Amino acid sequence: MTSATIRVLMTKSFIDSHDRAIKTIATALRDSSMEVILFDYQTPEDIVSAAVDEDVDVIGISFMSGGQVDVTTQVVHLLAEASADDIPVVVGGTIRPFDLEPLEALGVAAIFRGGERLATVAETFQSLALARRAHATR
Amino acid sequence: MPPGSSAASLLAGLRDRDRRLIGRAITEIENDSRVGAELATLLQSGPGQAFTIGLTGPPGAGKSTLVGSLVPLLLERGHRVAVLLIDPSSPLTGGALLGDRIRLSRVAASDALYVRSLGNRGAVGGVTSAIRTVIAAMSVAGFDLVLIETVGAGQSDVSITAIADFTICALPPGLGDSVQALKAGIQEVADMFVVTKGDRPGADQLFRQLRATARRATDSQPRPVIVTSSNDGSGLAAVADELSGRSAPYEGALHGPEAG
Repeated sequence: MTSATIRVLMTKSFIDSHDRAIKTIATALRDSSMEVILFDYQTPEDIVSAAVDEDVDVIGISFMSGGQVDVTTQVVHLLAEASADDIPVVVGGTIRPFDLEPLEALGVAAIFRGGERLATVAETFQSLALARRAHATR
Repeated sequence: MPPGSSAASLLAGLRDRDRRLIGRAITEIENDSRVGAELATLLQSGPGQAFTIGLTGPPGAGKSTLVGSLVPLLLERGHRVAVLLIDPSSPLTGGALLGDRIRLSRVAASDALYVRSLGNRGAVGGVTSAIRTVIAAMSVAGFDLVLIETVGAGQSDVSITAIADFTICALPPGLGDSVQALKAGIQEVADMFVVTKGDRPGADQLFRQLRATARRATDSQPRPVIVTSSNDGSGLAAVADELSGRSAPYEGALHGPEAG
């Protein structure tokens, strides 16, 4: 299990008290043998510095009330600035129809709008992590 | 991305305080990969070690909250602080929910602060088997204080005391009767006691019980007992001063001629 241990940062805004979704996903990832770091961000910079320090394979951002496109845009740009844009970003939660196009344009790796099977979510995180590693060792 | 980083490049990254390479170095050490093992060998001949503080106590004692409250005070006192947060890995799947970082969400990111969440990956005693090498890596990366929060520990989980220079036992009021304070194990080997949730009923009573047992037969001075509350901030500066004062003699080791 050692070299294959996948690490994921699961984060939501500190201001958002709706943590049921993020905890459900985090538990599903744990049950799929991943290490999941839970973190409440105050700024997009917090997400990127936590992801770099924790050396995660995937970043998952959960949205309830707002910031879907704004926060994700900043995270993607800050990752590039930190030369960490090899880390895929997954978003989920309340993703409104008009958020989809800008999020896809940003190159978000996956979007979960609710109702997905947990096994599918876990498989997505797993394959994104493995794809990143395969690319890194090339 | 540091693809296929060699041990030498990771060591250079630690010396340069490159956050990306610090993160990767710990991953390789934790995974006990070939590169990680080579890096561990290189780190054995590194400079003097950072002052290492272990924080232990029962689950729910408020250890993570205490860390979140102490870190800004330690940064204010001019320390460069590495925080290692250890949580249990699942014995069934090897996965882990590492939730302690949430308590540090209000601490702003800083060059002087590095925070890393670690699964214990099956090690017993509240720490991880890679912890000594991780501490050495933190020392090379210029952190003079390493604060380790253990997995919520039972009465006899004393592994941290063999690793840390100084061990704090955090205890909340209301866990049990006065006999609990007399038992053998972690309370016997801790260097300092911090009563958490000091604004709750029973904190004074716990303080008196701990103070009564704070002086062991071999101690010239009683061990410190400090009542804290992260709600009202009481006692936290006293804990930070105690840690800062204890660490002072170690700082020279990092700034000496051998420091990378």
